[in-house]
Parts: sequence; C-alpha cells; structure tokens
Amino acid sequence: MTTVPQPPARPHPVRKAGWWARTPKAPYLFILPYLIIFLTFWAWPILSSFMMSFKDSRLGDTAPFGLANWSRLVQDEFFRTALRNTLVILVIQVPLMLSLATVLAVALNSKLLKAAGWFRFAFFAPLVVGTVAYSAVFRLLFNTDFGMVNRGLTGLGLPAVDWLNQSGPAMTVLILAMTWRWTGYNAIILLAGLQGISEDVYEAASIDGATPWQQFWKITLPLLRPSLLFCLVLSVIGTLQLFTEPALITNSGPGNSTMTLGTYLYQQGFRSFNFGYASAIAYTVAAIAAIFSVVQLRLFGRDE
Amino acid sequence: MKKLALLTALALASAASAQSLSGTVTVWSWDAAAKALESTIPSFNKKYPNVKVNVVDLGNQNVYDRGLAGCAAGGADMPDVYSIENNEAEVFWARFPNCFTDLNTLGADKLAKNFPAFKWTELMAGNKRFAMPWDSGPVVIFYRRDLYQQAGVNANAIKTWDDFIAAGKKVNAKFDGKVKMGVVANGQDDEWFRMLANQNNCFYFDNAGTSVTVNKTGCVDALTTIKKLYDAQVVATGDWGGQITSFKAGRSASAMFGAWYEGTIRTNAPDQKGKWGVYPMPANKAGGVRAANLGGSALALPSSSKNKAAAYAFMENALATTNGQVTMLKSQGLVPSLLSATKDSYVKVAQPYWGNQKVWQTILDTLGDVPQARGTQYFQDARQVMIVVQADYIKGKYKTAKEALDDAAKKISSATGLPVAK
Repeated sequence: MTTVPQPPARPHPVRKAGWWARTPKAPYLFILPYLIIFLTFWAWPILSSFMMSFKDSRLGDTAPFGLANWSRLVQDEFFRTALRNTLVILVIQVPLMLSLATVLAVALNSKLLKAAGWFRFAFFAPLVVGTVAYSAVFRLLFNTDFGMVNRGLTGLGLPAVDWLNQSGPAMTVLILAMTWRWTGYNAIILLAGLQGISEDVYEAASIDGATPWQQFWKITLPLLRPSLLFCLVLSVIGTLQLFTEPALITNSGPGNSTMTLGTYLYQQGFRSFNFGYASAIAYTVAAIAAIFSVVQLRLFGRDE
Repeated sequence: MKKLALLTALALASAASAQSLSGTVTVWSWDAAAKALESTIPSFNKKYPNVKVNVVDLGNQNVYDRGLAGCAAGGADMPDVYSIENNEAEVFWARFPNCFTDLNTLGADKLAKNFPAFKWTELMAGNKRFAMPWDSGPVVIFYRRDLYQQAGVNANAIKTWDDFIAAGKKVNAKFDGKVKMGVVANGQDDEWFRMLANQNNCFYFDNAGTSVTVNKTGCVDALTTIKKLYDAQVVATGDWGGQITSFKAGRSASAMFGAWYEGTIRTNAPDQKGKWGVYPMPANKAGGVRAANLGGSALALPSSSKNKAAAYAFMENALATTNGQVTMLKSQGLVPSLLSATKDSYVKVAQPYWGNQKVWQTILDTLGDVPQARGTQYFQDARQVMIVVQADYIKGKYKTAKEALDDAAKKISSATGLPVAK
C-alpha cells in the first residue's frame, strides 16, 4: 500500500472568502417563493407591456419596434380629453371628499357621540357594497324620467335635469357617486390619525383659553397632516386610475365627456384590442401618478 | 336502384353519427338572439338526442369583450359556439387567426350558396370561413298605430325624413311633448347615424376596407338629418335600456332599429298587442332608398372547443335549415339570412301583435335595396370616434355636419392608420 504523496499544504489564503461564500443563503431561500412570483407576475408583465408600447400590436406578434403608439399619443385628442376629465375630477372631487372626511372624522371622534361604533360602520359601509350594485342604484336614482332625484327636484318646483345625457350633469353624478363611496373610507383613516393625537395637547390648549375652533385649526389639522397626506396621495392615485364609476354609471358618456384615463385605456385595450397603444397610455398614467406623488410629498410632507 | 341504395346508406350513416354525437355544447349569446337559439334546441335534440345544449345569455357587449379576452388568452374559457356581430367580426380574424375553426373543414363550403354572398364578406379571411351567417337587420320604423292616429299622423304618408319631422311636430303638439317619435342613443351609440348613412350608401370605410369615407356626402346628409330631428325636438335621448323603458311607458310613438327589434318590442310590451305597426324607413329625399341594415350576426366555432362536431351540428340545424331559421323568426323576430327561409310561407302570415299586418313581408321586401357596408377590423375604433363626434355636433360644437365629419375622418384615420378617401 502506497501512500499518495500529498501536495504541499497551500499557504493559508490571505484573500477573504468570495462574495458568494460570505453571503448567507438562508434568508434568500426564504424569500425565493415571493421573488419568483414577483418576477413572473409583476416584473415580467411590467417589462413586457413597456416593450409592447413600442409595437403596433394590431399587426400581430411579428410587428417591428417603433414609435407609432407614442407619436399617436402625443397627437391624440381623445387622450387629452380623458386627461382633462380626470384632472377635473381630481381638482373638484378629491378636495371635496377630503374636507368632508375630515369633518366627519372629527364628528366621529367626538365624545358627545353616542353609538360611535355604529356610526363608524355606517359611514364605512358604502365601501362594502358591490360596485356593480351601487352603480346600478345611482343610474336609477338619476334616471331622467323615473329617477328619485328628479322626482324630488320637480316636487320642490325645480326643473328636472337630464342627468346622464348631458356632460356637466353626468360629471356631477360621477363626483357625487365617488364622494358617497369613498368619504367614509377616508374618514376612518383620518379618525385613526385623530386618535393618535394626545389628549394632553388639547387639555393644555383649553387651559390656555383656546376655543374649539382655534384648537381645530391650530392643533388638529397640523397634527393630522401625515394622515391627510396619506389620504391625499391614495386618492390622487385612485383618481388617476379611475375606472369603475365612469364605466358602469356613465359609460364614459355622453360622448366622451366622462371618459377617464382608465376607461380610455380599457377602450383601446379591450374594445379595439390595441394592446400596444393601451400600454403606452398605461405608462403615461403611471408617470403622471409618480410625478403627482413626488410633488405632494415635497409640498405637504416637509418635516416628516 | 343504385341511387336509392346510396341514399339509404347515406341516411343510415348520418343517423348513426347523429346517435354517436354526445356531450354538452355551450353557446354564448345575448338578449333576443340567445332566446332565439334556445327555441331551436327541441328540433336539434330530435336529431341529436344525446347532445345537451346550454345557451348562456351574457349580454351583447360582454360576449364581445370576453371573446376577445379569451382569444388573447389562447382560447381559454371559450364556449363551443360563439355569437358575433358581422360588423365586429373582422377584428377577430385579423388579430387572432387561430382562435376560430375554419368551418370549411366541417363542410360549410357546401352550404355557401344557400346564403346571400354579401353575408359572407365579413365572415371570411382568405379562403377560410370563420362563421356562419345567422340573421340580418333590415331597418324599419316600428310605430304605435294608436298614438299616430290620435296625433293625426298617417304612417303611409311618411316618405322622407322631412315628413317624419313634420309628423313628430304633430305628435309633440298632441301629447304636449311627452311622447316622442323616437329615442336616440346619442352619446352612447351612433346607431342612428350608421342606419342613415348606410341608407345613403355611405359608411365609416369603403367596401374594400382600405380608406376612411365617413365624410362623404351620404354620411353628411345622415348626420344633418339627425341634427334636424334634435332641433325639431321630435326625438329624446336614451340608451338601450332607456329605450325599452320609454316604449313600455307609452312615451315612444315609434322606434327605428334592425328588424330584430320586433322581438324586443313584442316580448317587453305584451300589453300593447295590436297597437303596433311597421313601415319602411323614410328616405333622405323623395324617391330615395328606404332601406338599410343594422346588425345581423353569425355563429363561430372556437378552436378550443372539445366538441366541434356537435357544435357544428347545432349551428347547422339553427342557421342552415329553413326550419331552424323560421323557428327563430317566429320566436324572436330574427330575420333569416338563409335564402330558402326568406321564402317560407310564414313570412306571408298576418301578425296579430302588429295589428294583423304582414310585417315580415314589409321587412323582407326592403332587403334587396340595402346598400352594402363593411365593418372592417377597425369598426370599434371608428365607432368610438363617431359616438363622440355625433354627440358634439348635436351639442353645437361644430358649425356644419361636414365640418364634424371631416374631423371624424381625421380622427378615424389617425386611430387606424387608414388614409381618408379623396
């Protein structure tokens, strides 16, 4: 039996172990399932739709890359209409809803209120109602000939309004419906914010002789800013993606006077089956939402 | 003798295969069309007792939306028989050439001559036949005899759109503006424009599908007429559901649609039996064409169907036999496109609901005058533009119909890439 001659012992490595050896594997193994799902169902579609926006998908899978969709987007009057309608809703509905929600949250937080839990549920309830059902009810309420709203108006001696067949009134119905649905939701978030404000602050203020009105403006609102900012950012993003209400209540009409970015995207993607163009619209909406969010954080989130 | 033996053998063979067909055939359709297909199931099951047919009424827009989504997903969740409107059909063949079965492989080429040639135009791509013609939608005016009479209007004297407007003014005066001559889906759909444009031999696109023709004279006249109807306040505005509500409540003296609306009126307002009648649509000018087509559908067979033989047998029984087509005409008023069915004796029967008028004769008599129009694969793009332009023009955004349609042509052209015709 011969012994295999051992190679001379290598000098102890001076270099540290490689990056691979140094990195602990276990944590990555644990998040691997999520990573795989993320890459397959999020990252890939996002990338793929970005690439699709450079193809005229109507020509089939073999369409060459080009800027056809993007140059159409720049000139597209309907896209501008959709953008304008969305911004109108943003500028009118979001502040209206958030002011109402703030008032509601303060009221719900009041110690004078009996059965507070029941009221909180009641104002949150619209969100639990199925969107199709609630849209159908709004369509009925605002029906020109048989709707309750017009019955009420004529009962008061006011003229009936052709709600869903005229631009301005149709937009009004949309804004009312969205406010009905989302005010309670925002009020609950704000209520949580209110409950985070310490009682001591109010106590000190009343000892110093501050009226409730002053307390609201000088204490409640400033301390509520993080919650308000959160609601604002969520509402703005939600409005930019708005789809359900204009699709189900007004069907983007009359004409395209309540067409939003969301319904226009749907129309291009699923009626005309032009996925490439729909992707270009989707990316534009995402970019606008990002810009809005940054601006809001800069403007209202300074010392946070 | 030889012939007889051959015939017997054939009959035996087909009887044998009829017995061997089994399983379930799922059909997607909408409203009256779905009910019509259901009415053909008994005759189908007489021939094929082992096949169970399941007609699902998804509503018109949903069938289209889910069909496109299913094709995009490689045929996932598609039914065995799929209903499709002729005008909207070409987008499917253009974007998803593999989503549907070429019916020639199942024997449809042998049936081709039993249908008018124009019905096949939108259903074929190259030599492939992707759907079988079902019904057509010759446009007529449905009217309330009693309301016209009370207002002193004679339906037979309405020969042009100007006559129609004059009649509408009488109706307005009589009923204090509470009853209108029609309900237009302005802002929701452009079907009135399409009917009037088709009547004037004009459409979004030319019949080769290569250029945009929506700003030609015939279309300009069509849009001008719609504006006149609004200016004279003889029409109201309402969508599909609103129109039904309106005639049920007795607030529509008339309605204009493809003849398939017969079933919608008859089944939604059974209490108005005997009060309704039909007359051909008014012409643009005295002596002009009084016919147009709106809608008209076909049945297609998705490639993903696991029961193609049975699905095809169902389509053949419903669409390619006189009995099937006449059954659907009786039950829901679907106007047959099968040539032999248009000559069936039922067509000449007086209809009690329609005040014993032979309405099918009136309706089918217009068929020969209907100018051809082609939806192309860009039908929806063009329709979305036209809905908006029509609503804007009615609202007063454009000075003239020509200006409105020039703008529409420009927009359709930029959306589709097709040039505006010179």
